[in-house]
Amino acid sequence: MKRVIRGAILVVLVAAVGLAASLGAQSSPKVQFLDTKITNGLRVIISEDHTAPVFSIAVTYNVGSRNERAGRTGFAHLFEHMMFKGSEKVGSGEHFLLVFNNGGDMNGTTSKDRTVYFERLPANQLDLALFLEADRMRSLDVNKTNLDNQIGTVSEERKQGVDNQPYGKTSEAVDNLAYTNAAYKHSVIGSLADLAAATVTDVTDFFRMYYAPNNAVLAVVGDVKADECLAKVRKYFESIPRQPDPPPVDMTEPPQTAERRLTIDDPLVKLARIDIVYHIPRSLTPDADALSVLATVLSSGRSSRFYENIVRQKQLSSGVMASAGETRGPGLFRSGGLVMPGKSIADLEQAIYAEVERVKTGPIENWEIEKARNIARRGFVSTLGSSLSRAIMLSQLAVFYNDPNLINTRWERLSSITAADVQRVAKQYLTPENRTVVITNPKPPAAPTPGGEPKGGL
Amino acid sequence: MATRILLIGAICALLLAAPVAQTAPPQGSQPPSTKGVVIKGLAPVSDEVLKVKLPRPQEADLPNGMHLMVLEDHRSPQISMQLIVDGAGGYYDPADFPGLAGFTSAMMMEGTSTRTAQQIAQEQETMASTVGVSAGGSGENATVMVSSLKENFDKTLALASDVVLNPSFPEQELARYKTRQKASVVQVRMMPRFLAMERYARVIYGDHPSSRVMPTVESIEKATRDAMVAFHKAHYVPDRAIVAIVGDTTLAEARTKIEAAFGAWKKSGVTVPPVRDPAPVGPTTVFLVDRPNSVQTSLIVGTQAINRVSPDYDVLSLVNTIIGGGPTGRLFLNLREEKGWTYGAYSGLTAPRFRGDWSAQTEIKGDVTDAAVREILTEVNKLRTEPVPDKEFLDKKRSLVASFALSLETPTAILSNYITSRRYNLPADYWDKYPERITAITKEQVQAAAKKYLDPGHLQIVAVGDGKKIGESLKKFGPVEIYDTEGKKTGQ
Repeated sequence: MKRVIRGAILVVLVAAVGLAASLGAQSSPKVQFLDTKITNGLRVIISEDHTAPVFSIAVTYNVGSRNERAGRTGFAHLFEHMMFKGSEKVGSGEHFLLVFNNGGDMNGTTSKDRTVYFERLPANQLDLALFLEADRMRSLDVNKTNLDNQIGTVSEERKQGVDNQPYGKTSEAVDNLAYTNAAYKHSVIGSLADLAAATVTDVTDFFRMYYAPNNAVLAVVGDVKADECLAKVRKYFESIPRQPDPPPVDMTEPPQTAERRLTIDDPLVKLARIDIVYHIPRSLTPDADALSVLATVLSSGRSSRFYENIVRQKQLSSGVMASAGETRGPGLFRSGGLVMPGKSIADLEQAIYAEVERVKTGPIENWEIEKARNIARRGFVSTLGSSLSRAIMLSQLAVFYNDPNLINTRWERLSSITAADVQRVAKQYLTPENRTVVITNPKPPAAPTPGGEPKGGL
Repeated sequence: MATRILLIGAICALLLAAPVAQTAPPQGSQPPSTKGVVIKGLAPVSDEVLKVKLPRPQEADLPNGMHLMVLEDHRSPQISMQLIVDGAGGYYDPADFPGLAGFTSAMMMEGTSTRTAQQIAQEQETMASTVGVSAGGSGENATVMVSSLKENFDKTLALASDVVLNPSFPEQELARYKTRQKASVVQVRMMPRFLAMERYARVIYGDHPSSRVMPTVESIEKATRDAMVAFHKAHYVPDRAIVAIVGDTTLAEARTKIEAAFGAWKKSGVTVPPVRDPAPVGPTTVFLVDRPNSVQTSLIVGTQAINRVSPDYDVLSLVNTIIGGGPTGRLFLNLREEKGWTYGAYSGLTAPRFRGDWSAQTEIKGDVTDAAVREILTEVNKLRTEPVPDKEFLDKKRSLVASFALSLETPTAILSNYITSRRYNLPADYWDKYPERITAITKEQVQAAAKKYLDPGHLQIVAVGDGKKIGESLKKFGPVEIYDTEGKKTGQ
């Protein structure tokens, strides 16, 4: 970072020297950025990139569905929708028009762990983007009409993504059974009944508690000058009052001691599916790193063990997945797939366990480990082409781990994972007593009856 | 790198009666032009003119007929390449063998004269590279996608060239592939969106190749090694192929690499038969796909429109943007922001070499299916009968022009513009003049195009939902044909 930042409370200059330590043949560029806090506690990260006349802005709020209270599942996401329904100086829906009509794009997204809002705009519209984000952080303006409108919209979003889709309810059943702690037990989209029960007071209270500058990180990446940008951030955001810190979330998950198993019927499916999940530690721990390499060995691409042995050779499924996910709290190693027509779901389940056992006891080839390393590095390099993915990642890493520089270093963590590490975590976590198994079956009356009129009802 | 300078904002700003920047609510401003939105007009919008350098790919013709296009992007050490093989797509499936082009492209990844399927997978995935071939559906081209870290590009390109030039179509892998394909036919039929798109394509395109969305079980059964070998030999020719590269390289470097990898690919002299237009659509009909237990309706309303080289292309694109282009389109603002009936409602214009289509689509609350159809028809009618209000009109034109700046961050988007130019023989300055052309469009042209192409008497309505609940209510829009989720007609 070349510029001197005047008046910053805390300035951390990252990665100015010592680029790219251990990349073998070629070094990768690093993301350089300014990292500071303004007086109301808003953390601000700015990264200049003048290769295109474009910038991206991301505001990550430290709130997700894990913060929800009982009877209000889905609220964090419903609230995200309300952030587009108007504030003191921006009319309901005007946000969309201002961004798109000036050549930009935008969205918001909610997960269990965070809520992020973002815009990407031509370089001359920095004031517009900062104004829009600041106005809604300062003065969200909610009324019953707008809330009812978005309860309707989110209910349809739920149907589109869950209730009207084959296997739509399966993931909810898996998390509900695997987790004991309420924080991760329910889905982000929540239940229709809870959505319908949301009130304007809920929205107002949630806003006050979580949508405070001291509970957010703002990142700007692209064709901006860091000092000018920071001055503008101050202008638009610094007078927004700080709020008391939200209460911490208890994420403690009691150890599981016996397999959990459930079978559900789904009238919208024609093939059975199996989901097998195991409790694992939160992301960015050495074990979680090794588990992420394990997921690559098992299921990444057509060279993976699941594909080669279960899909290609045994033809028990047309695709079997595995992933270690990213979670701030206790995670799940997820695996599973759809059964091939005419094959047995029990055989598919046993074939998955056989591959897991083979990892524990048999050799892991060098190329399998090398593949995981290269995928991690390629993933990092790819973020360099998008100002938006860098902005989202920087702000999110700051919220999750208090370390935005993980954008540069994280992939290197995977480079030190060995075959022995992968075997160790497979043995430790992928055990029968630590797993939850959910089988989704076609509902018997809705089985394919070509030409007939299947009668079923909800 | 060749560049042209575009003044984004300038052209539009000149047209605006008032400056774009508004620091106070406009006095006596017109009411919001669309439903579901409140305009306060207090946000600081810059009217500063943004000078944008529009990069151009550098191009070269290779001796075997391939056309090379290279757009340099040195932000990260990666190279991506598309090899577009004209004439090898599903459009050219034999009439009695739908899916053959798609089968052939997929099976090219399953073995070459020197590599097994596993070797192909392991080699590319160990490098975190990508090599993939696709030619499914009804497109005119097969596309080979290649991407890798720069340091692995030579090895990745050698693999891609082997897949394109020397596929062996091994029998054992074909048997496995057929089993997987049959499973995927079952899988997609569970999804309401697929059922809607499948029915819509049949309705709009009739017996035209574009009506094909997914191969049938019959044609999967029929696939043989011989048929694929023959299709590959006849259709994978370099004569009109485009190699489009973006990344950390130069034209000279890329040319050397491509000539090394594809030097053995000889010009065939084979020509591609001209495409044909689909037969015109009939009067408005409702096509109900009965999917019991649905809790929402997948709705598509559309009709045939224009091809890519039609003089009305820009105007109809603007019509489409106004009615359904994203969250600022009228359909979204009406059906979602005002009514709360859906998560989203959009429209799209498909304009290939032959006459394509325009359609509006949404996933809508089941019990308002007929009301939503009514609203879509009302929005279509409004564009045909009422001029677009000034502010909305200028906003939409500005959004099209200004979004050009964003594409500068994604060189693949810029390159795809120039691929379009090449495929459709557009003038050399086509993209340089794009802002001027959009800016020059008048409200009268928009209304005339809506009137000409969005003919309510020929809009086709496809609804996938619970027939018991929605069937009756759709009869008011026209005759109703009913299908089951297997695609069989069960009533009318």
